[in-house]
Amino acid sequence: MTTQQFLTSAWTWNPAVLVFSGVALAAYAWAFGVNRRIVFLIAGLGVFVLTLVSPLNALAEGYLFSAHMLQHILLLLIVPALLLMSLPRCISLGSRSSLLANPLVGWFAGVGAMWLWHARPLCNAAVSSQFVNVLQISSLLLLGGIFWRQILAPREEERISPAGAVLYLFSACMACSVLGIVITFSPVSVCSIYAQPPADYLGILNLIQSDWGITPDKDQQIGGLLMWVPMCLVYLSGIIAQLARWFAHPVATAPVTDKAL
Amino acid sequence: MNGNTSITATVAHLLTPAERQHWKLAWLSTVDHKRIGILYMLTGLVFFVIAGIEALLIRLQLMVPNNTLLGPDTYNWMFTMHGTTMIFLVAMPVLFGIMNYILPLQIGARDMAFPRLNALGVWLVPFGGILLHFSFLAGGPPAVGWFAYTPLSETPYSSQLGVDYWAISLFVLGIGSVSAGINFIVTVLTQRAPGMTLRRLPLFTWMIFCNSFLVILALPILNAGLAMLLIDRLLQGQIFLPFGGGSAILWQHIFWAFGHPEVYIVAIPAFAILSEVIPVFSRKPIFGHEFVAASTVIIVFLSLLVWAHHMFTVGLGHTIDLFFVAASVLIAVPTGVKLFNWSATMVGGRVRFTTPMLFCVTALLQFLIGGLTGVSHAVAPLDWQTKNSYYLVAHFHNIFVGLIVFAILGAIYYWFPKMSGRMMSERIGKWVFWLMTIGFNLTFMIQHVLGLAGMPRRTFTYPDLPGWTWMNMVSTIGAFFMTAASILFVWDLVISFFRGKPAGDNPWNAWTLEWATTSPPPHENFDALPPIHSRRPLWDYANPDRPDPVVPVGGAIDTFRPDKIKAGVITFIISEAGFFGVLILAYLLYNATAQSGPGAQQLDVLKTTIFSVCLFASSFTIWRSEVGLRANKQGKMKAWLLATIVLGGVFIVGQGLEYWSLFQSGVTVGLDLFATTFFTLTGFHGLHVCFGLLALLVVLGVALTGYSKNGHLPALGAVGYYWHFVDVVWVFVFSIVYLWPLLR
Repeated sequence: MTTQQFLTSAWTWNPAVLVFSGVALAAYAWAFGVNRRIVFLIAGLGVFVLTLVSPLNALAEGYLFSAHMLQHILLLLIVPALLLMSLPRCISLGSRSSLLANPLVGWFAGVGAMWLWHARPLCNAAVSSQFVNVLQISSLLLLGGIFWRQILAPREEERISPAGAVLYLFSACMACSVLGIVITFSPVSVCSIYAQPPADYLGILNLIQSDWGITPDKDQQIGGLLMWVPMCLVYLSGIIAQLARWFAHPVATAPVTDKAL
Repeated sequence: MNGNTSITATVAHLLTPAERQHWKLAWLSTVDHKRIGILYMLTGLVFFVIAGIEALLIRLQLMVPNNTLLGPDTYNWMFTMHGTTMIFLVAMPVLFGIMNYILPLQIGARDMAFPRLNALGVWLVPFGGILLHFSFLAGGPPAVGWFAYTPLSETPYSSQLGVDYWAISLFVLGIGSVSAGINFIVTVLTQRAPGMTLRRLPLFTWMIFCNSFLVILALPILNAGLAMLLIDRLLQGQIFLPFGGGSAILWQHIFWAFGHPEVYIVAIPAFAILSEVIPVFSRKPIFGHEFVAASTVIIVFLSLLVWAHHMFTVGLGHTIDLFFVAASVLIAVPTGVKLFNWSATMVGGRVRFTTPMLFCVTALLQFLIGGLTGVSHAVAPLDWQTKNSYYLVAHFHNIFVGLIVFAILGAIYYWFPKMSGRMMSERIGKWVFWLMTIGFNLTFMIQHVLGLAGMPRRTFTYPDLPGWTWMNMVSTIGAFFMTAASILFVWDLVISFFRGKPAGDNPWNAWTLEWATTSPPPHENFDALPPIHSRRPLWDYANPDRPDPVVPVGGAIDTFRPDKIKAGVITFIISEAGFFGVLILAYLLYNATAQSGPGAQQLDVLKTTIFSVCLFASSFTIWRSEVGLRANKQGKMKAWLLATIVLGGVFIVGQGLEYWSLFQSGVTVGLDLFATTFFTLTGFHGLHVCFGLLALLVVLGVALTGYSKNGHLPALGAVGYYWHFVDVVWVFVFSIVYLWPLLR
């Protein structure tokens, strides 16, 4: 199989993903009407669908740890952030629930989702078991939402202060970098199922290992590096946005109207 | 006024009337941030002379090919000592001195948050310096470069004591730097004058504030590496020794994880100086204050992320190189933002080329060149060709001298009037400037060419190849120009101190608060402060009809002012977390797979679990003690405190017993990698428990004297935080060292 054949054929049209996205879009339009923020929703759902039906998903299913890592980052950091940004500014995410409003809970949700799912038994199970895989995807979306809620909650008063947010994101980057460093330089396989792909059901093992040159060792390095460097750049974008919010907004507690998008 | 009375008057300034009785101790025992700042700078000046002479010897040796002035060993000593001294004993102390003097003044504070800690920091510099230089008397200084790559710096290849002195000295200096970093952070958070919100901080202070986070995060990484290097050298460990199974590359990772931020630790203060001086002599507020402020945060963030670009030639593999090429190139963006903003500040301004401005503008230009060659090093293939050549030497001297030394000189010409009450000579200053600029560019610009022509660095001599000889000659001549500039500069300092024109409060018509008091400022800094509504309070004060736009106060964060002692302990804990993080990572690296020989199975998990429960329980007891204090129940508070000490003591005794039984069964520190990393990690944790116990005993002693009668004992809360931290570290260590092997 060539790369081109692979990229055109390896789409997994998962009905659950498509139905979920369609329902989410319809529900949003029904609840909030079609406004400018729906762009974020469409972007978020688009990334969600692409993550789970494109050849990336085929690679993550037993072939490449690094593809799995990319999925992980997209589902934990990009999709929930975009979904939160799509909510109208008047929505409250339940500030009465003190547990979710606690920044420490948010921080541990975001960082914990990274550390926990890379414990070897869980990481392997997420590939070999369909049920654990679904559990993983939903937990990533949920925990990512709890993490970003501190920063991107629609209501200004439910967010942490900009300077606090900078420290929040900075320390989250440090915590994930450490895991990235561990994975990059680990002498043992972190997710051993990727070290020996069980069955080459797509017939692309040769393509990956000789044409692309990605051996299992390199694969794990790329996975670790994805978490170490580009993932931190996602946090960095958040930090830049928070600095802009701090320096630009004359009064940080002023109510922001929906039009001020 | 004739000369003699003027000199007497100046000297009289140095001491208050009350201090004349005990003048010998007045400066040695000072805790005043202004005097400490000056002590920092004077210490830096002394070491600048020493490291400068070393640089001259290097240049004299390289002046002609096949020179025999210095032998290979002496040459290696010289460039090691030159690099180490210039960074740790010149650039950092001098910059810390300037920050120490100026930062509290700029925020309208009386002093730093922790004056005694400040005095500790300054005195650790000469002690560290003496330790380093004592190696000259103990068999010869280190000859391993300022980076001390292993295994060259390990006992089999450097058996003299030089490297040990080098490592211990840097460890001491690292502790001093972290203490200064903590102090700057807490000072900015807790000592600001009313109205000085976080968003109204002048850029200099803001950038030092950001930079201090880098100091407390980066220095502990080096200290953890130095601790492991010393364990290798003194206790026969093999952490960095390949033939014992260790990894020499691990040292490079640790060193550059510190070393790359370190470059920014000395460069950001230089940026801070430029951001202060350029607007004042352009008679304009800085262009895009917010962008300069925000880009500093981004530089701090990125600088911690990209150290591997120092290691492209190690052979980490294309995969790793690729990621770090991309991330390293990114740093050019926030630094570029700064360059453009400084330039835009000058555009349309009424630029006055005084000596400080000349130094700062030239620093900007030279930094542009150094920055561009820096970006060229982010490209791995080019880096492979040039890393070990004089092209790299030229690059980093463009940063360290072209930017940092020039900015420091600009800062001293700018703030000397405030510190001494007298102006420095503009006439001599211009001579210093031109000699320095010509000398610097003669010395280092030509080295770019030499490097591209293939001349390797770190080599004591070179053959007579076409072009090399005259270029090296030019470089050496340039070094002498710089020497002349330095001598003239010191001369200017001395005569201006005694005979300079009186400066007045605000000779440059600047806008920040340090110019709102007398020159030199009185001991308590300010009699009264002008109102603060913007980033340029003195401009507003002088131009009430057209003040700067008010920087609004929005939300609690702008006026954030935490408890001083707790803020201090928390910043300290952040820094300690970095230290333990490195030790834990090193343990993980060597124990990820089960080793042959004694390993984790030798440990008595059950016993240690019991002792660990004691330690974890002590977190509960110290919390109860704090509850007792808050309710003002003295007996309860003391009883729970005592219980904490007993539980902590039981843990330490338990750890001692475990060590004893391991020694009995032949498991010593140097036995194998498991033993070395095990003893390093648990040993440093045990050391921290011991320090915590000492602190708890002190608190208990203070409580027993009845000091806490009114329910006021702030030290308890601070020690409590520290104690919880030590327990949390043990949660990690216990899980990784004891529980994890059971799961495998």
